[in-house]
Amino acid sequence: MDLSPGTDITPPSLSAGVISTQLESIIYIGVRLAWSLTLKNPSCYLGSMTFKGPRSFELTIPSRLEEMQAVHELVGKAVKEYKLNDELAHWIELTISESMINAIQHGNQADPAKEATLRISSNGDSIEIIVEDQGCGFKLDKVADPTDTANLLKPSGRGILIIRSFMDEVDLTEREGGGCRLRMVKKIRGAPQ
Amino acid sequence: MPAAYGEKDPGGPAMSMVLNARRLDDVVILDLSGRITMGEGTLILRERIQKLLGAGDRKFLLNLADVDYIDSSGLGELVSSFTTVRNHGGQLKLLNLTKRVQDLLQITKLLTVFEVFNNEAEALKTMK
Repeated sequence: MDLSPGTDITPPSLSAGVISTQLESIIYIGVRLAWSLTLKNPSCYLGSMTFKGPRSFELTIPSRLEEMQAVHELVGKAVKEYKLNDELAHWIELTISESMINAIQHGNQADPAKEATLRISSNGDSIEIIVEDQGCGFKLDKVADPTDTANLLKPSGRGILIIRSFMDEVDLTEREGGGCRLRMVKKIRGAPQ
Repeated sequence: MPAAYGEKDPGGPAMSMVLNARRLDDVVILDLSGRITMGEGTLILRERIQKLLGAGDRKFLLNLADVDYIDSSGLGELVSSFTTVRNHGGQLKLLNLTKRVQDLLQITKLLTVFEVFNNEAEALKTMK
């Protein structure tokens, strides 16, 4: 069945009592439902939220700060799935929020035509978070130290410090074709409860 | 309360900041609750302090007892408030930090900037 956008989807015959046909009918109903929701809520389509399995979550949003609510909702689902305690959940949410805001504001220059993508996965011992943008607004080793006396009273520049302080691994790489990929890992096994 | 985790309200909408002002003599105590984050949360604080400064107030005590989520923009707003008040010849101090906020102020070395108190009466004594 061709399910690509714009394809005119017609229901398969329900008359034949063949299992594969029934399955196709169920798929059809699901596709129609998803299509209907997409048309009713374009923001939902742009910020496509995908549940990829029991240990992996993904979200792509246009570069608008208003879309951050979807990020917080996805993180809420992930920390529940991973059964994180409140403390870990808090810091995971904060670091993800900081990195997505960085991607939107500094990477994509708040251009809604550009997207920021968040992936959260866990192997049970650690959580891996990947944030990708289409702009690459900074380099980790070039970020000014906000704890330097000269910078202490500046109103911005603390996001990366917060991320680095909480995460066990942080690395930033340039993506092929443009943009940056921030990868962060937090060990959760043996973390204080 | 911030967005909850686990069994409380997973993935629920995050509540933004609520600010209530009260006055003891010439000190304005701002009781903050919720989340101080980029956008509405920081704007509420900024506008309130600017309004109070405009009305002649110069002594501010920010009670953060019910704030347990603050992001880098929220921290930036605290710093901006501090410098704005100081530039007007006033003082701004912090009261009742939660552990999470205290940890963030420690990480960012902002504990070296702000005077922090765990007791309102003691804080007020220093602002006479």
